[in-house]
Amino acid sequence: MLATSAPTSPYTVPSPSEAQTTERAIVIAAQRGSDDAFSALVRIHQRRAYAIVRAIVLSHEDAEDAVQEGFLHAHRALDRFRPDQPFGAWLYRIMANAALDLVRRRKVRVAEELPETIPMPFRDPAESGELRERLQEALTRLTDRQRAVIVMHDVEGFTHGEIGRTLGIPEGTARSDLHHARAALRRLLQNLRSTS
Amino acid sequence: MTDNRWTSGDAELTNALRAIYAAPMEESYWDALESRILAHIARGDDTTSWWSELAEMARPGLAAAAALILAASLALVHSRQLEVSSAYAAVISAAPSTIEPASRAASVGDGDAAIHVLISR
Repeated sequence: MLATSAPTSPYTVPSPSEAQTTERAIVIAAQRGSDDAFSALVRIHQRRAYAIVRAIVLSHEDAEDAVQEGFLHAHRALDRFRPDQPFGAWLYRIMANAALDLVRRRKVRVAEELPETIPMPFRDPAESGELRERLQEALTRLTDRQRAVIVMHDVEGFTHGEIGRTLGIPEGTARSDLHHARAALRRLLQNLRSTS
Repeated sequence: MTDNRWTSGDAELTNALRAIYAAPMEESYWDALESRILAHIARGDDTTSWWSELAEMARPGLAAAAALILAASLALVHSRQLEVSSAYAAVISAAPSTIEPASRAASVGDGDAAIHVLISR
């Protein structure tokens, strides 16, 4: 059983130089059943995992749910992971799938519910301004994958290759999705920008 | 591809995107999320243990069923072969009896000839 309080783990987040070898050791320890090791993996990867799922889902709350689901799937599948592979790439693929799955389930639920009960997207209290509001609305008009690609690229700084590996699509498709997403955003925001 | 790049005016859009998708900065938030993730895993593993055990049992069960089907198929094929070979053996062993009526007919024919000789006398 995993300990649910984070700060008791003996593992510390490694520096970038030693991260690769240290992480491999942590992964192997986690595969042997060490809960502390798995907690360390959560601590190392949760921010990046959040960024990936946040790019796919529409709200902060859904991103938290998807991260939790993603780590649960990863924990269950850990014995099938080969430690000679990069753990991050494997984990982020699981995260992206968890987020896409959540988006699909939300769509089914929203289709079944009355419009009044659709949950509103998370809004930072600091969020204001017409551009931001229109942009949020425009982002919902993109396909799930286009939205994920543009956010992962422009906000999180992922390369096309990283986006492709994470979302399970060819690099060229990621590039093309980015192009189409930008074109769609430009089109959707054209009126606003021409009047401002 | 020129359209694949934001123009300088799009920097405003990028900034807006970053503001919308900005991850929480507070360290306490990440500590809390980590605890929630670990709690979720602990709960999830508990609630799903019965079906994961069932799934684990299903795998050897399927293998046993496949082995049973294979054994039954082999037995069926073997019994068919036995049936065919015994039928073949029966045909071979029955062959003299099929000749018998002909010899009997021959003997009957001989008898008729004898009777014919006797009558003709």
